Amino acid sequence: MEHIRNFCIIAHVDHGKSTLADRLLQLTGTISERDMMNQVLDSMDLEREKGVTIKASAVRMVYTAQDGLDYELNLIDTPGHVDFNYEVSRALAACEGALLIVDATQGIEAQTLANLYLALESDLVIVPVINKIDLPSARPDEVAQELENLMGYPAEEIVRISAKEGINVAQVLELVVNKVPPPKGNASEPLRALIFDSHYDSYKGVIAYVRVNEGEIRSGDSVKLMVTGAVVKPVEIGVFSPGMRPVDALRAGDVGYVATGLKTVAECRVGDTFTNPQRPAAAALPGYRKAKPMVFAGIYPTEGEDYPDLRDALDKLQLNDASLVFEPETSQALNFGFRCGFLGLFHMEIIQERLEREYDLDIVVTAPSVEYEVIMTDGEVLRVDSPAQLPDESLISEIREPWMALQIFSPTDYFGTIMDLISKRRGVFVSQEHPAPNRVQLNFEIPLSELIVDFFDALKSRSRGYASMDYQFLEYRPGNLVKLEVLVGGEAVDALAAIVHKENAYHKGQALVSKLKELIPRQLFDVAIQASSGGRIISRANVKAVRKDVLAKCYGGDITRKKKLLEKQKRGKRRMKMVGSVEIPQDAFMAVLRLEEE
Amino acid sequence: MMLHIPAYVEALTREMRSVGGRSGQKVRVHTLFFGGGTPSLLPPKSVERILTTAREVFAVQPEAEITLEANPGTVSREGLAALRAAGVNRLSMGMQSAHAEDLQLLQRGHTAEDVRQAVRWAREAGFENLSLDLIFGLPRLSLERWKITLEEALALDVEHLSLYSLIVEEGTPLARWVETGKVEAPDEDSAAEQYEWAMERLEAAGYVHYEISNWARRRAQGGHWGSLHNLQYWRNQPYYGFGAGAHGSLNGLRLVNAAEMAEYITRCAAGESQAYPRGPATVEVLEIDRETEIEETLMVGLRLTDEGVGRQAFWARFGEALEDRYPRQIEQLTREGLVELTDDRLRLTRRGRLLGNRVFSAFLGGD
Ligand SMILES: Nc1nc2c(ncn2[C@@H]2O[C@H](COP(=O)(O)OP(=O)(O)OP(=O)(O)O)[C@@H](O)[C@H]2O)c(=O)[nH]1
Ligand SMILES: [Mg+2]
Repeated sequence: MEHIRNFCIIAHVDHGKSTLADRLLQLTGTISERDMMNQVLDSMDLEREKGVTIKASAVRMVYTAQDGLDYELNLIDTPGHVDFNYEVSRALAACEGALLIVDATQGIEAQTLANLYLALESDLVIVPVINKIDLPSARPDEVAQELENLMGYPAEEIVRISAKEGINVAQVLELVVNKVPPPKGNASEPLRALIFDSHYDSYKGVIAYVRVNEGEIRSGDSVKLMVTGAVVKPVEIGVFSPGMRPVDALRAGDVGYVATGLKTVAECRVGDTFTNPQRPAAAALPGYRKAKPMVFAGIYPTEGEDYPDLRDALDKLQLNDASLVFEPETSQALNFGFRCGFLGLFHMEIIQERLEREYDLDIVVTAPSVEYEVIMTDGEVLRVDSPAQLPDESLISEIREPWMALQIFSPTDYFGTIMDLISKRRGVFVSQEHPAPNRVQLNFEIPLSELIVDFFDALKSRSRGYASMDYQFLEYRPGNLVKLEVLVGGEAVDALAAIVHKENAYHKGQALVSKLKELIPRQLFDVAIQASSGGRIISRANVKAVRKDVLAKCYGGDITRKKKLLEKQKRGKRRMKMVGSVEIPQDAFMAVLRLEEE
Repeated sequence: MMLHIPAYVEALTREMRSVGGRSGQKVRVHTLFFGGGTPSLLPPKSVERILTTAREVFAVQPEAEITLEANPGTVSREGLAALRAAGVNRLSMGMQSAHAEDLQLLQRGHTAEDVRQAVRWAREAGFENLSLDLIFGLPRLSLERWKITLEEALALDVEHLSLYSLIVEEGTPLARWVETGKVEAPDEDSAAEQYEWAMERLEAAGYVHYEISNWARRRAQGGHWGSLHNLQYWRNQPYYGFGAGAHGSLNGLRLVNAAEMAEYITRCAAGESQAYPRGPATVEVLEIDRETEIEETLMVGLRLTDEGVGRQAFWARFGEALEDRYPRQIEQLTREGLVELTDDRLRLTRRGRLLGNRVFSAFLGGD
């Protein structure tokens, strides 16, 4: 136990966590040179392609330190993106220490702070590490000073590395051994092992990632889930190194996995505690609050017959991602589909891409919405996460929407343009701090509905990529909100409805109508597009009937080529959704997200 | 190019002999067509030699339609007379427009006067079957200016007219000009308007609109001057293709020849014989299964705006009724006003002629 160190790597997105993990795996010989590749722990296709960590991974390494002793190091690499924050907080509960990586060119950013605070709350020992010193624009001294100001860690003691070039990486391992305390907890006490993550394996069922706090699990022992009360006989127990490697026992202080053989995640929830059914512990470990979806959207199959496949795919995704929630939904326009809840827009994008690529489904995704609280005139409170479900205006006494606390980190140069963006998005300024010279942290309050409409991109473009942001749920507040409906060919299309602030309704209605006019192809008849709010048409446009398609000549040599071309066009058309008798392309349902900012 | 001509003609005759020689008995041939590229650059002597070979190898019918595509800028009075004497009896000429600016935009080397002269010389040479190609939907082409072009063509009093909608082909100078904004992209709605006007005007002038892009005068003895050769394509009937890059279709196969002149010549010289109907220069063979044949028959047959796809002929060819095979498609397209199913045929309506792609697509890929 003295020779175990459990630590995680935390940082703002892209500061080099996974790259550092690569070097640590190499230095400890955990992975052979032959199997090495960049960001080896990012094993999902999508992670590799996007260069982003989506899911935390745990791995055990053995390290012979300068004191000549062998240490068992359990490392957890975490995602940096704000949507996956909950993954970080879980990982923290399995560790005694955290390496806080800061990019030497970017300095402290929003998730640096957010993750630092999470680690402090969990009472972890935090070791700051400045990365990317190989870059010409690196300013390690300034960043060290920023870190000293922030956390009181002496600037000159902060290790400066290049994870990419392998500079000073061995020092990081020594720091882990010397600064991170060994786990406490007694192997002879009754078993308590916290499930901090899970994934699904088609042979071994739900694989629970565990941190053993007290006691031990021996191979062949049954275990009991303290919250559900279920008793399971594991298929196997083991450690990640980095592949799954079975072991005989996991003891207090160890991090490893329990392959439960269970077929659904519901039976083995992250946050639950394993104990020994013969000698149960008195109380479960404190779990986690369940990650709460913030953003909701409808996902529909383009072809109705794919509905069962879509449901299966969502089920499978949920096995590895308990934060994804979904329930069946029907839409007049899109028929049968699912209302899905996501942690944020990035999470939504990832689910969408995985459905399309890993499950080869053609889907339509509607514009994301937040969850509103609707107070009815009779006092009843409804929760509405789909604009189409908003009851008639006359029955509503108040609509409340979620507000967020928002922190933006930026060089002071962009102060003005950020303030301007915030005011366009109904945000309210709260306070500002200057964590470092020329850098400002701005604190705002803002409706979540404004954050999910292209906010991050707007912020990045206004700040030339320098600003970063973090946000947390604050509270529900009443708003002057109205439903904006869209009628295509005279029929209201429920999937195009939006809930907007009354003052913006007119402008948004117009922008939406002109966007749709661009997106909806000409049909055999004129198609009227209208936006209405409160029973009044506020904007209209007309997509004129198509008069001709290509009148290409077609002689002997053209036939095969022409047929292929027509077939290709036809496949393209299949990707449209028939709403009444109008063909609407899939991206039209997201149009509300991409309205020009004037 | 000129230097290649003797070698090319040699290769062409070899190819014809090779294929024709293996066809069993002499195949009856009703039409011959010199097209693609600029066949009018071929010396009449060469044309004559090719025709002589064709007559040796195939049973070319005495009344066969023999067409040559000619660029009005490259013909001469003597040349046309020689072609006629060699047996060519139909000329198809690219007039394109009556306006110098349009011809420049299209990068055509001829003038409107060249066209008038070529038609005059052709008549003098004894051609009784002439066709002109025109292009509508050009950038900046107003309806008024299009009318001038069409009237000019009518004044030349030819048997046949082909009207093509401008298609900006990738990689052409025009495509580049449109991309860089030098030339305004052609407008679909004005093109539709020009086409519709042409339908009316040509009908009034006594032309039969027999294919989406083609109109023909009625013949005194009945029928019309429609291109027999092209009708073979649209009826999805067999044809041979000879020459570099030529396509052929017969015995359930579509064949494509090597497109590179040098490769074509080498292959024909080597004379490697592949199984009939492949020739020495065949580089691509596509098998046409029944499904494909049905789809292609509809795709090209529906282009025939007058005769359409005959129900009887369809039944005789495929052993099932057209309306049993495509009930849903026919019902929907009829409702949309794009096709009409009469007692004996399925064909495009007037509106359907402008929206052919929609109609053809409906019959492709099963669903
Ligand atoms: N020049 C340089 N680039 C580095 C260094 N470390 C990481 N990078 C690059 O920074 C980018 C992000 O690295 P990752 O290791 O994926 O970062 P991460 O923190 O794991 O990112 P997320 O998991 O998405 O939060 C990659 O392009 C790396 O190659 C370094 O020391 N020097
Ligand atoms: Mg990573």
